[in-house]
Order: sequence, then C-alpha cells, then structure tokens
Amino acid sequence: MVNNPGDRVLEPYVETDNSVETRKAVSDGLLGIHNITSNRFWQFAALFGIMFIFGIVGFVWKLSLGFDDKSTWGYYVAVFAFLMTTSSAAPMVAIAPRIANSHWRRPISRAAEIWTLAGCLNLILYIPLIWLLPSLENGRRSLWFYGQQEGVPAYSPHIWATLAIVGLVLLGLSLLWLSTLPDFAVLRDQGEGWKKKWGGKLALGWRGTSAQWNWQHHRMGVVGAFYFMMLVFVHFFISVEFLMVHVPGWIDSLYPITHAHNALQAGVATVMLTMFFLRQFGGYKDYIGLDQFWGLGKLLLALSLLWFWFWFSSFNVFWYGGKPSEQAVLELLVKGPYLYLFITIFILVFILPWFTMIWNPVRRSVWGPAILATSVLIGTLLDRIRLYVASWDVAGRSMAKELEMKMQDVPTKIQTPGYEDIFIMVGFIAGSILIFMLATRLIPAVNLWEQKEMLLYKAEIQFHRTKVTVMGKSR
Amino acid sequence: MAKRSVLGLYSEEDSAADALDNLREAGFEEGDYEILTGVPYPEGTFGEAEPEHKLYRWPLIGAACGFTIALLITAGTELAYPLITGGKPILSIPAMAIIMYEGSMLGAIIFTIIGIIFESRLPRIFMGAYSEKITEGHIGVTVTTEETRTDIAETALNKAGTDGEIIRGWE
Repeated sequence: MVNNPGDRVLEPYVETDNSVETRKAVSDGLLGIHNITSNRFWQFAALFGIMFIFGIVGFVWKLSLGFDDKSTWGYYVAVFAFLMTTSSAAPMVAIAPRIANSHWRRPISRAAEIWTLAGCLNLILYIPLIWLLPSLENGRRSLWFYGQQEGVPAYSPHIWATLAIVGLVLLGLSLLWLSTLPDFAVLRDQGEGWKKKWGGKLALGWRGTSAQWNWQHHRMGVVGAFYFMMLVFVHFFISVEFLMVHVPGWIDSLYPITHAHNALQAGVATVMLTMFFLRQFGGYKDYIGLDQFWGLGKLLLALSLLWFWFWFSSFNVFWYGGKPSEQAVLELLVKGPYLYLFITIFILVFILPWFTMIWNPVRRSVWGPAILATSVLIGTLLDRIRLYVASWDVAGRSMAKELEMKMQDVPTKIQTPGYEDIFIMVGFIAGSILIFMLATRLIPAVNLWEQKEMLLYKAEIQFHRTKVTVMGKSR
Repeated sequence: MAKRSVLGLYSEEDSAADALDNLREAGFEEGDYEILTGVPYPEGTFGEAEPEHKLYRWPLIGAACGFTIALLITAGTELAYPLITGGKPILSIPAMAIIMYEGSMLGAIIFTIIGIIFESRLPRIFMGAYSEKITEGHIGVTVTTEETRTDIAETALNKAGTDGEIIRGWE
C-alpha cells in the first residue's frame, strides 16, 4: 500500500503517434492501394458493363412496348424501388455515425457516400415512371385532395415526386463532393497522371485553412441532415404514389415509414457487403476490420428486428380488422399468390438475421455479417417484387375508382416477367455496381482525411497496471 | 498595394502555435494569417481564433423562401377557385401541408447548395503561398500582407523553427 502519493511510480502517458511521418504514411498507404487497379477489377467491371448494356437494351425494349398495359410494369417499378432502397439509402451509414461522432465509421463512410453516384442511374430509371403514373383524373384516391379541393393539378404527384427525387440526388452529390474535397486536394498534390489532373480540377483550390475545415464540417452536417429528411420524404412518395394508391382499400398510414425503414436496413446491408468486398478484394484489409463489421452488424440486427415490428403492426390491423377490403389486400400481398414469396422474404430479411446476428461470434466476424447482408438484400429485392408487381397488376385492371378491392378481383397468379424485365433488373443493378466501381478509380474508397484525423484522437495510456486505448471525442 | 503571401512549414503543432504567437507579437492581426493543415484539427489547437460561420442562415432563409412560395402556390390556386367542396374550408391545411413541407425542403436544399458554393470561396484560382507538403502532413502558417511587411512575417515564421525554406506566393 502506498501511503505517500509521492512514492507512486508514475507511468508516462503513451502518446498518440501523430507525427508528420505517420500522417504521411497513412496518406501513402491509402494512396498506394488506391492507385493499384488489378486485372480482376477490370474483368468484373467488364462483366458488369456487359450486363449494364443488356439493361439498357431492356430499358429501350420496355419503352418501345408503351405504357398502356400497366400490369406489365411491376418489375420495372420494383427494380427502381429496390435501387432507391439500397444505393440511395447507403449514405445514411456515413451520415448517422458521423453525426454521432462514432470512430468506427471512418474507414467505411466514403464507400457509403460513393453510392450516392448511383442515384443518377435511379434518376434515369425514374423518367419513364412519370409517363407511367396515371394522372389523378383516373379517379384513384390519393393524398392530393384532387376533386375535393379546387385548384389541385391533376399531375401533382408527378411534379412533386420528381422534385423530391431530383433534390435527393443533388443532395447526395453535394455530400459526396464535400466529403471528398480534401482528398481531391491530396490527389492534386500527391497523385499521378489523370488522377492528379482531375483531383486538381475537383479540389477547386482547397488549401485546408481552419475556416475551410470548419465550413466543410458544418456543411456536411447540414447536408447530411437534409439528405436523411429527403430520403424519408422520397420513400413516402414512392410508397404512396407508385404502390399503395393503386390497390383500392390499401389504407395504411404506417406503410410509408415502413418503406423508409426497409431502405435503412437495405442501406446498411449494401454498405456491409461493400466493405466486405473492399476488405477481401480491394486491398483494405488493414483499414476495414472487425470493429466495422461489429458496429454495422449491431445496426443490421436492430433494423432486422424493426422489420418485423413494422410489418406486424400493419398486418395486425388488417388481419384483426377483417373487413372484406382488408382481407382482399392481405390476400393480394401475403396469403394469395405471393404466399411462398412472402415466406421466403420473411426468412431472409427477419428470421435469418435475427437468429444468427444475436450471437456475438457471428456479429464479430467478417463472413457472418456479409452473408447476412446478402440475405437481407435478396429478401429486399423479392419484397419489392412482391409488392410492386402485385400493385401494378391491380393498377392494370382499371379498378382505380373503386373504394375497395373485392376478393374475386385479387389476381390469382404472379405476373411473369418478360425478357426485357429480366434485362432491366439484372442490368440496372449491375449498372449501379459498375458506377460504384468506376468511381473508386478516382475517389479513394477509404477516406484519407478521416483516417488521418483519427491519429489526433487515439492514444494508448497507462491505466493502473494495464494499458488502454483512449478515443478522444472529435468536434 | 498588391499583397503577397509567405508560408512557413512546421512538423510540430507547438511550433506552428509559436509561429502564430510570433506573428501577433510582430503586429499581425487575425485575418492576416491562416493555418493550413491536411487534417481538421480541433478549433483553437494553434491558438488561432475560432472561425465564425454563418452556415445556418442559408438553409433557414431557403426554407423560409420555399415555405412562402409553397404557401402562395397552394393558397393562391385555392383562392383563385373559391369553391367549397365537401364542407371543407377553402384554405385547408391538410391539402397544403405536403407541398409546404416539400417547398421548405427544396428551398433549404437549393440555398444550402448555393451557400456551399458561395461560402467556400472556391474555386480559388491563385493558390498563393502553398506547398504540397501540407497534404502530406506538415502544418503551414501563411501570412498575407503588403509587400513591405513580408520580411517581418518571414522573421516571425523562422523564429518558430520552420521545416525548410519560407515559400512566397502571389495573392
């Protein structure tokens, strides 16, 4: 026992290694990985490129068939909704933990943000939907008070949904540019060849003054918050205008937020799978570690549990209510022709993640969360097919003016996809991945400045008889 | 008078902070000098004044403009056709809410993006005194002043122990 405090042996603090050499080593290490483009990368890029060409062929083919038979457009709308659910939601993995000052997100935030570029592809996919969506004159009940309130334009959904989606894409591009600005300056100063040239152009003379860092920090916060608000709003529009209003009797105030929740779950799964590939095949093994899989795994588990909560809350009201119109909606979406599809979805997006991700060894591994993320993404795609194909099947039967759908009106079998639908589904999903891959050739897939910033806040200190890592709180 | 800039590079944070002290002692004021780093240090690390920002004004003004425009569009169209339907008031909030919310959002977004472009002071055509070593990890202290005072600035920067030669540039 030490009676005199002066007799204690004081262990020195083991300070953080925030030296010029370490900062340079971090930059050099990440740029070294960034500058290497393997043959395998180009082989996969070529494969996804060919698939994307098929997607474009399918897109043109689909347009040439016209918009008259709306029941055949379900798969097209489903793939649009799926991409909005995955690629457009992925940046939330960068936004939310950054606002919460979580350090584990640093190596993966850039990968999440690059997915905003795929939003441009979603915008292309959205354009024909403006023509597909009937005007409010077809008599469907909507949120627009058309026919009840004078002066409501018949094309209100078209105008406002378009503005919302364009707003989301613009916000995404702004967020990505803001986040990448300091790294473009690194490419300008330390890069080579065409990357140096483009880094110089896109850095716009960034010098890294205190005012610029301050400005960038606050702007990313504001734009990130707006992105979240707009994402929820866009999902509100997609789920209402392109889904619910086409099924008479589907009245569920909870569903739009369910759609947005599905996007958060699938967005986390998208980033999980992205970081798995970056780690295993992209050369970032030393940067993307178990902390990232563990952190994101916990989020995926929580969101998978919420999937059940959202689904059951809506299902319970319809099932317990038991009105003929509610029974018909359940027959269409759950119990009828889509029953086996629904069971598959239920297992993939809820049961599997739940029963596996509750185990710490699975969550704290590399392969476990990645496999579960694949399960969630496949389940989400099937879920979008189930809902949108069923709804547009009903939309093609001219029942818009009906107050409710009768049991005999419920389709008895699933619409079969045409070749053009398959081309579009495969091609545009591949196209999104291709855009991501090509973007990583210019934009470092792991954030350089956030990795270097980490050096400021990480220190190992003596704590009684042991050493502990202390993480400082950044701004 | 044309302004010139000089830049001193430092390996240590304390040396850069000393350089700012020396500059203040030499009569330079906040605004004459800037810290350049490749990493966002916490504000005040080098004893510099915390940068002021007016970032939240842009989205707030944008949201107010968007909300007003949306209100005018909805109320204007409804008042232009003043027919009472279903016993509801002519100006019904539920019918206007979606457009007013989206109008506010879009206004805030557009103004935020304009604010980003305007407040960033980018693109910066002339980099002034700058070194590629900054993005490597060095800390730069740059002084922008009249040509006659550059020698005083150089002396102040050198006194803190610069890592290499002083770099000069045009503004």
